[in-house]
Amino acid sequence: MTTLFGTPDVAIGMKESVSRVRLFDGPLDLSWRHCATTSDFIADLFALRFRSSRNDYMEVRHSIGYLVNELIENAVKFRAPGEILIEASMDSECFKLKVSNDLDGEDASEFQSLLEDITVGDPMDLLIQRIEANAANPDVGGSGLGLLTLMSDYGARLAWIFSAANESDRICVETYASIPISQIHN
Amino acid sequence: MEIKTDDYRVWTEGSEIFFDGAMRLASSDAGAPITALATSVLASNPASITLNLKDLHFLNSSGINLLAKFTIEVRKHPDVRLVVRGTPDIPWQSKSLPNLKKLHPALVLLMD
Repeated sequence: MTTLFGTPDVAIGMKESVSRVRLFDGPLDLSWRHCATTSDFIADLFALRFRSSRNDYMEVRHSIGYLVNELIENAVKFRAPGEILIEASMDSECFKLKVSNDLDGEDASEFQSLLEDITVGDPMDLLIQRIEANAANPDVGGSGLGLLTLMSDYGARLAWIFSAANESDRICVETYASIPISQIHN
Repeated sequence: MEIKTDDYRVWTEGSEIFFDGAMRLASSDAGAPITALATSVLASNPASITLNLKDLHFLNSSGINLLAKFTIEVRKHPDVRLVVRGTPDIPWQSKSLPNLKKLHPALVLLMD
């Protein structure tokens, strides 16, 4: 069974020329450091075409880097052992990203109930509410704040597709994101 | 007082807390020493506290949450003025620092 959260149209349109980075678990011994190096690499690669304007370049490079870093951080933190596949493409309007990894069944259910809470409503209001709730109850982690920051501060549109993974007790999650490029340098 | 890693440095000069580098905290636990440092400045009961972020080029969402939590802590002390110094040249700052003012409207946000 396949379950979708978020904006349905973001979850399509990754068919155009896509760049792929695959982070293998074994030889790399995936760690926190890989989030930064991988996201910086992808941001550098895609921002190159904006280098004629220093301001646009800085803005685009940062926004792409921030988006990719947050989504890879989530994948590294919550994935079941195994690889992380990162696919990216850009047209004149949007930078699009898809991050795929497996989750343990229980983690997938928890993530789905989080998504039910943070994908309905105004992201800015939800972000402020969640920060207040986390500060009032230190036992609660910062869950969802990164995703809400992407939606509220970066204009990111996000979608998630959950489907059965090859291994029976696992779920495959595909996280789709799109950020506007044309509005970045306003 | 100073916290120094390969990627970032945080230190105090009086009641001003300086941040420098790129901070990608893996969890709120990873930010505990920074929270402790900031809390100790608040505990000294200064008239004002300044968070100087002008050289902090990158801060992930765990780090932004740390700043937000500290802002809420300072909000509980109406006699302490909170100043946040940033720069419009660093994109995450112009995008995310205004959120701190939503949490604590009396906060002074200087983007210069």
